[in-house]
Amino acid sequence: MIELKTLQTVRLKGRVSLDDLVAGVDEDTAAIAETVTRLVDAGLLIDGKTLRLSPSGRARLDALLAAERRSADVDAIAAAYRKFRAVNADFKALVSDWQLRGGQLNRHDDADYDAAVLARLGDVHQRVAPIIATAAQQIPRLSVYPRKLDVAYAKVRSGDTAWLTRPLIDSYHTVWFELHEELIGAAGLTREEEAEAGHGG
Amino acid sequence: MSDSVAVFDAPPVVRLTGGCGQPRGLLGNKAYGLDAMRAEGLPVPPAFCLTTEVGARFLAAPEQTLDAIWEQVVGAVGWLEQETARSFNRGPQPLLVSVRSGAALSAPGMLDTICNIGVTGAVHGVLKAVCTADFADDTRRRLHEMYRRIALGDVAGAVPDDAYDQLRGAIGAVFRSWESPRARAYRRHHHLDDVGGTAAVVQAMVFGNLGASSGAGVVFSRNPITGADEPVGEWLAGGQGEDVVSGSTDCEPLAALRDQQPTVYRQVLATARRLERFERDVQDIEFTVEGGRLWLLQTRSAKRSASAEVTLALRFRAEGLIDDIETLRRVTPAHIERLLSPSLEPAALRTAPLLARGLPACPGFASGRAYADIDAAIDAADAGDDVILVRSSTSPEDVSGIVAARGIVTEVGGVTSHAAVVSRELGRPAVVGCGAGVVAALDGTIVTIDGTAGEVRQGALPPVAWSECDSAELAELAGIARAISPLRAHHDGPYVRLDDPTPSAVRAAIDAGHTDVVSDHPLVVMLTAVHADHWPAKDAR
Repeated sequence: MIELKTLQTVRLKGRVSLDDLVAGVDEDTAAIAETVTRLVDAGLLIDGKTLRLSPSGRARLDALLAAERRSADVDAIAAAYRKFRAVNADFKALVSDWQLRGGQLNRHDDADYDAAVLARLGDVHQRVAPIIATAAQQIPRLSVYPRKLDVAYAKVRSGDTAWLTRPLIDSYHTVWFELHEELIGAAGLTREEEAEAGHGG
Repeated sequence: MSDSVAVFDAPPVVRLTGGCGQPRGLLGNKAYGLDAMRAEGLPVPPAFCLTTEVGARFLAAPEQTLDAIWEQVVGAVGWLEQETARSFNRGPQPLLVSVRSGAALSAPGMLDTICNIGVTGAVHGVLKAVCTADFADDTRRRLHEMYRRIALGDVAGAVPDDAYDQLRGAIGAVFRSWESPRARAYRRHHHLDDVGGTAAVVQAMVFGNLGASSGAGVVFSRNPITGADEPVGEWLAGGQGEDVVSGSTDCEPLAALRDQQPTVYRQVLATARRLERFERDVQDIEFTVEGGRLWLLQTRSAKRSASAEVTLALRFRAEGLIDDIETLRRVTPAHIERLLSPSLEPAALRTAPLLARGLPACPGFASGRAYADIDAAIDAADAGDDVILVRSSTSPEDVSGIVAARGIVTEVGGVTSHAAVVSRELGRPAVVGCGAGVVAALDGTIVTIDGTAGEVRQGALPPVAWSECDSAELAELAGIARAISPLRAHHDGPYVRLDDPTPSAVRAAIDAGHTDVVSDHPLVVMLTAVHADHWPAKDAR
């Protein structure tokens, strides 16, 4: 399981430092470091300035994910994913309203406007929790996502609004984007199909 | 007859003798310009005009209106016959005419024109004998195509075989084109009202398609895109004017005329300069050369870019052609605001092919080489290259590629897509949802993406933004404005701040007794004040 978690986290981050990898995988730090060393030696991870998947690492990850799916009820995941799409649309609208106002970049000079947008995050946060819980019954690995969303949500609520959308940190949008990718894969779909159908992008 | 004519407030049919003495609003721009050119002794084919008053009445009562003036129209055609020593509807030297629209405010390409009126069966035979069979056939084909499309609205309809019936049908079609959906849409877009109508100009044809040393062209007295002090234009040897202005045929640059007919070329340039000084503005001139002889068909003020407007207004002022007030009238606050925001140069946009169009997801401009592969994109960026990431859609693992890239293009996904969210957060210009096939088409090419317009263009095009401080031209304009504006605006000084340059805010500052304010954009504030002060009706629209 630690191998799957490590490879999948590297994949979702694209290129990641060891520190960030350790922060993203809910396992013991020493065990992660040991796993990384083993995966690099096996040629599954490429260790440069940052860590990334090699082609064989990507193939290994795909095999592990397929095995994980085989032990799960994919129909139950697909049902959860269909519910996620509706919340996802609301969340993306919220994020766009946060970034854009009247077609222009939001200058964040209107506290009332910003507060009204942020207030919608509570509803999204509440609605997504049972969806993840259902999916995590099938794919236990996914239970890390509520915790990560909780952390980002708490930071946004405390006024640190960078944690809503900033990339390269585990902001609410970063975690959500990764969760979305996980659900697409767990439901046996692809990002391209989902984007074509207007649910991904 | 006197009764029917008496219903018109002004003469309904006006011969453009070069001294007709009628106002621009009645004649329409085109006829007014022709009369003015004739007054200058310039070579203009003889023409007469059915006024805008006739055009407006036609829309209410078409047949009665034409009946009421028809005798005068026939009389004016007789005058054209005398002027050209040709005859309408018969040989031995047939007269052909064009009917063109010409409203009081120009709407280029929005209204209709029909050329080569007068080619009947009998006239076709005469043309074949006195010119060539090719010319006769070409001219008849042109008439039939235009007449069917515009007057009949039926590609298989029967064109009347009497020249006067053709003329009447063409005049009606031109008047009716005032109410066409595209003309209405144009007026709506430009905040012009629908009342009134267009005039119809009936003009003797000259032929760019008549043998050697003939052709048609367009010349701008100065470059309307860049504002540079150089005439530019197009030339089509052996073509008629419609071929040039419709854009349906590939023309040569004007320099081709210099090589083919140097004397005519010099005449064209001299005429353009003369018309420009006469009109005190950059002119857009249509001309025809028939057998080595230059004819002018139309002149009008040229449409131009915002940067050219500024450059040209200052140039005309420096040359003593316009005064300070006119300089400020020509340059609007909207022109300045457009110049202050970064944009691609108008000249570059005309030559850089548009490779893809999508949704503008993050404003701004970025140039670089398009990469479809994330690892290749990151490696290239690490090596110091400017990278544009082009992806079908984006996954979380693409974020590191977006970070490394200068801009993003996607095939699928909207402005709320994850790629759009991340690009905005990083300030990377993005065009999303460009459609299938774009990744393969762009991969490896140097492109520029315009995240404001949602366009991807070929080549590296540097965006330019003018600055009120750094631009000598804007500083010069500010100097002129400061001497005239009821509200002087400065970059700094011991004055109240005015950040909002809207007319109401500027008006409020003036009403509050302020004569000087500080603003980040003093020129915009002052132009707003000057325009509100001098031309309030225009700004209220």
